[in-house]
Amino acid sequence: MGESKKTVREPLFRIVKRDGISMTAKVIIRVVAVLLALIADALFIYFVTGLNPLDVYKVMFQGTFSTSMRFMWAMRDLASLLLIGIALAPAFKMRFWNVGAEGQVLMGALATAAVMVYYGGKVPNALLYIAMLVASLFAGALWGFIPGWFRARFSTNETLFTLMMNYVAIQIVACCVNIWRGQASGLGKLNMKTKAGWFPQIMGHRFMINLIVVLVLVFAMYAYLRYSKHGYEIAVVGESENTARYAGINVGKVIIRTMIISGALCGLTGFLIVGGRDQTISTNTAGGDGFTAIIVAWLAKFNTFYMALISFLLIFLSKGAAEIASAYNLNDFASDIIAGMILFFILGSEFFINYRIHRKHSSKEVR
Amino acid sequence: MKKLIALMLAAVLCMVACVAMAAELKVGVILVGDETEGYTLAHMNGIKAAAQSLGMADNQIVWKYKVPEDQTCYDAALDLVGQGCNVIVSNSYGHQTYMVEAASEYEDVTFVAMTGDFAAISGLSNFKNAFTKIYEARYVSGVVAGMKLAELLSSGELSAEKQPNSFDADGNVKIGYVGAFNYAEVVSGYTAFFLGVRSIVPNVTMEVMYTNSWFDIDKEAATAEALIAKGCVIIGQHADSTGAPAATQKLLDAGNICYSIGYNIDMLPTAPTAALTSPTNEWSVFYTELFSAAMNGEEMPADWAKGFDADAVAITTLGPSCAEGTAEKVAEVEAAIRDGSLKIFDTATFTVGGETVTSAPCDLSFMDYSTMTAIYEGETVEAIVDGAFQESTFRSAPYFALRIDGIVEDAQ
Amino acid sequence: MQNAIELRHITKTFGRVVANHDVSLDVRRGEILSVLGENGSGKTTLMNMIAGIYYPDSGEIYVNGQLAEIRSPKDAYALGIGMVHQHFKLIDVFTACENIALVLDKREKYDLKAIRKKAQAICEKYAFDIDLDQKVYEMSVSQKQTLEIIKMLYRGAEILILDEPTAVLTPQETEKLFAVMRNMRADGKSILIITHKLHEVLSISDRVAILRKGEYAGTVETQGATEAMLTELMVGKKVELNIERPEPINPHLRLSVHNLSVTNAEGVRVLDQLSFEVFSGEILGIAGISGNGQKELLEAIAGLQATEPHSSVVYYPDDDRDSTAEQLIGKNPKAIRDMGVHLSFVPEDRLGMGLVGSMDMVDNMMLKSYGAGHSPIADRKAPRHLAEEIREELAVVTPSIHTPVSRLSGGNVQKVLVGREIAASPSVLMTAYAVRGLDINTSYTIYHLLNEQKKRGVAIIYVGEDLDVLIDLCDRILVLCGGRNNGIVDGRKTTKEEVGLLMTRLQNKGGVA
Repeated sequence: MGESKKTVREPLFRIVKRDGISMTAKVIIRVVAVLLALIADALFIYFVTGLNPLDVYKVMFQGTFSTSMRFMWAMRDLASLLLIGIALAPAFKMRFWNVGAEGQVLMGALATAAVMVYYGGKVPNALLYIAMLVASLFAGALWGFIPGWFRARFSTNETLFTLMMNYVAIQIVACCVNIWRGQASGLGKLNMKTKAGWFPQIMGHRFMINLIVVLVLVFAMYAYLRYSKHGYEIAVVGESENTARYAGINVGKVIIRTMIISGALCGLTGFLIVGGRDQTISTNTAGGDGFTAIIVAWLAKFNTFYMALISFLLIFLSKGAAEIASAYNLNDFASDIIAGMILFFILGSEFFINYRIHRKHSSKEVR
Repeated sequence: MKKLIALMLAAVLCMVACVAMAAELKVGVILVGDETEGYTLAHMNGIKAAAQSLGMADNQIVWKYKVPEDQTCYDAALDLVGQGCNVIVSNSYGHQTYMVEAASEYEDVTFVAMTGDFAAISGLSNFKNAFTKIYEARYVSGVVAGMKLAELLSSGELSAEKQPNSFDADGNVKIGYVGAFNYAEVVSGYTAFFLGVRSIVPNVTMEVMYTNSWFDIDKEAATAEALIAKGCVIIGQHADSTGAPAATQKLLDAGNICYSIGYNIDMLPTAPTAALTSPTNEWSVFYTELFSAAMNGEEMPADWAKGFDADAVAITTLGPSCAEGTAEKVAEVEAAIRDGSLKIFDTATFTVGGETVTSAPCDLSFMDYSTMTAIYEGETVEAIVDGAFQESTFRSAPYFALRIDGIVEDAQ
Repeated sequence: MQNAIELRHITKTFGRVVANHDVSLDVRRGEILSVLGENGSGKTTLMNMIAGIYYPDSGEIYVNGQLAEIRSPKDAYALGIGMVHQHFKLIDVFTACENIALVLDKREKYDLKAIRKKAQAICEKYAFDIDLDQKVYEMSVSQKQTLEIIKMLYRGAEILILDEPTAVLTPQETEKLFAVMRNMRADGKSILIITHKLHEVLSISDRVAILRKGEYAGTVETQGATEAMLTELMVGKKVELNIERPEPINPHLRLSVHNLSVTNAEGVRVLDQLSFEVFSGEILGIAGISGNGQKELLEAIAGLQATEPHSSVVYYPDDDRDSTAEQLIGKNPKAIRDMGVHLSFVPEDRLGMGLVGSMDMVDNMMLKSYGAGHSPIADRKAPRHLAEEIREELAVVTPSIHTPVSRLSGGNVQKVLVGREIAASPSVLMTAYAVRGLDINTSYTIYHLLNEQKKRGVAIIYVGEDLDVLIDLCDRILVLCGGRNNGIVDGRKTTKEEVGLLMTRLQNKGGVA
């Protein structure tokens, strides 16, 4: 057999899972990803749109950073997205696929709006804010509780259930908006005359409260999941319900409690959006953030600090894309491609952080 | 001599200032859609035409596309202010509450909420509304439809024997209308259209069906088909897609007797034999006035509304299916509208509940219906003056909301 | 004579873990070669590379003298190599014959009759006992395994790899399997078998190849080999292979199980009016073919399993029977704990029930105790100490106590679990298949730990599958058959044959021995 001299065909690439990777390597991979993204994008920009890539990148950057106002708006939009991500974290950590954030936010927003419409100007402002807050927490919690209870009690599929609850919420909001708008074509801002229930301006921005709340919650949720007994229970239930039962954890109770928290925080987001950002309600109040936040929560592996980074990246890209479309009169599909490619490369780099690729050795002669 | 020099200097300075001002004009445009959507495209074309005729440079206009009617609009407005725009225009009705908020914060910038309805009562001098008298063009398009109807009836092509469901119990010919929403804007439009038809063929009845959307090609097509199935011979529309004309063409080809009056754009490419004409806005007329006023430092009125008098409205090319003599009739009617001898909403031409209308009080307040309070108090005006309903005179946005006899609104 | 397989310098790594390093070994034609090694010594990885599941990082594999390129199980089939995995790859709703048809090459015609005929011929040739028309879901574990082997032979396997085939079999079934294996050897087939049971190694194989920590430690002829010698080769040092069995000291009733019945989700009665008693300071063994109610029994006692009415499990904390006896049925684990009953339970499913795989040792230590105290913050100080202690005392091999336990090898996972349960100073300790899949060294560590608890006066229930161990370790052995008590025998007097018989044949008396 010593004579057998044949060229061995080896697979060209083999994918091998990495065991662990140093922080430096992670950073290098990510930086390389961003550079590659910028190069690939530059080719797209140059050959498809005929623009100067560097100018386009500058404009993209300006989408968030050219003025302090734009930066604050980016922060405001980040706050909504991040808040929902934070709200989803405990549910997802429990492996409860709550895809109903959109609906939970809407219900919170609707409750807030209802309080503004029916009690605005009739009760003192402080009381009004409290009522708005409580109503939104309750409405969001209810929208989380219902699928949680069904799951705990009847083992219903929570993904479908929460998804369907979104549509129910959208219809309820559409119905209320239709009632409130009366003969007008649209609802417009609520309490436009009295401004009752609008958040006070802090440093010139009504949404400053939103930023403060989200900042506090980033830390609070991190601590809740990492250090609290509840957080521990959530982790155990998420890993294995059998283990949880073995440990004496009341699985149903944890599921319901966590969904109430998740829903209530979504409701809180609705409150902040209506009071601090929109001062009105529509079926678009959550604006798809309820779904985008799923990506945020997942990518960050439920770490709220990573969530903040990822939310920022998403907001930066969307603002950049919008600015490119506006500045160059580009169709926004083109600018979305530019932003999307960057996102693609950055997400793609996760693969290289988790896996190693073995290149084919130069085809070898054996003995 | 000194005086002369001073005078010349002043003149030069003035010229420099004027040129500087022209150069200084920067327009921000907030659009609800983009070029793929007919309504927005019409505005874009109007703005571009105005800019061209005034010799403005490309970088004097900053565009914001696909801005929804929410806080995004306010952001866009402030962002445009930040970019140095001194005139900011939004093209959708729902933008106005956000525009007015921005207007209250930036008094040196002129904000124009197209199709809006409370500029005059907002108390802000830098907040404007504008609308064309599109109902005039709708009336004329009704005349075109009426001519066709008359031809069909007199030639015997359309008769109770051939298409029995096209006639109601009283022998009136049925026509249909695809409306977007039941707002005054639409009511005003279809009433004008109906009166236009009836000015030619007295015994008509019209059914209006709503799609509850400004742009929904499938729904508009389905609505047109439903109306034709009920026997409607003419399909008018106040919705932005080509759905209705396309559906009408399809059914015409299938042997039905049905014709279409479009909106905004020439529908002949979509419906070569079914389309008769479309009423359309000439937005460039307004934008030219707006931009040149800004350049010259002149003040625009809080409400701007013009029609045939300024060629701000028109009808598109008459289709090959139009009846003989239509062009002449159209010219005659347009002239009558221009010289004021024809009033569209002449109370002698319609009744409400069988009665001639003698009084139509209109509350111009901008209401918050959720709390039933007025956001901006406006006075209640008497719209019937000199035997006609005075549309678009007390404010630019339409307020004709009477439901006249002969038109049936489909229950929603 | 040419070798069936020659491995040369095979190396395979997973991340930073080296599973195999520079392994070279030969498999002869017509021999049964045992592959022996401790947990994590790389046996299964090596076999998987021969079967085309993994691809080596470096090194060559020669099949029948030819350099082979095995990139997939398909390549392996083509070379006449078939592997029977620990987890069977069968379709439950198909018959045996239909499952065999699944391995057909694409070119072959799907003709069930012809397939059946050919399969029947194979069965007769090697004396396989199987009904080819039976559906897989109706088959016993041993029958499924037989089917897997037939599948491979049908596909033309000349080299068979069996990964721990006897772990799930009764002694009688094991004998049957060995008989078939000998028939195949006589026919010139080469068989590679992985097993932890040394006496099986000695009885079935011609040669034994030994792996130690991923490296090849040599091959010995079975003739003349002894258990002690093999163990020494495997572990790298001398190991004491005697299981100690101290006499129970001052036993008194600890747990009384009466009329315990459980019906599972499919409506099958898996435990049927089971009654027995457990005493302090003794090890009660539970024997039985797997799936005869062992799991349900332990879970019912632990409060994890719904029971039928009239079931009763009474706990006695000390000699005084009446005053403080507690009924455990109808209470969940937390309620049982809150009553002050120290019930420790090492479940069969370690990472699916006993531990949380993605969590580190520290977090796993607090699984049952995290709720203590009123603070909303979970205390991690005590668990950290405990984790360090267990790592130290039980020699748990882990990079750190903060490594997720799922990354540890099977034996170390079990040490973590057993360590935690013992650290809770239980009065009743239940273990299910405590040494399943563990190498000999770790197994003896576990036996030792159990005996220590026994000396402390703990009542131990030991569910096991290796009859030799059960007989050597336990004071009394309860044999389960069809969810019923089929007799309790004295561990010091019984024989393997007696227990094996009780496991398979239901006695009419059924009651207490």
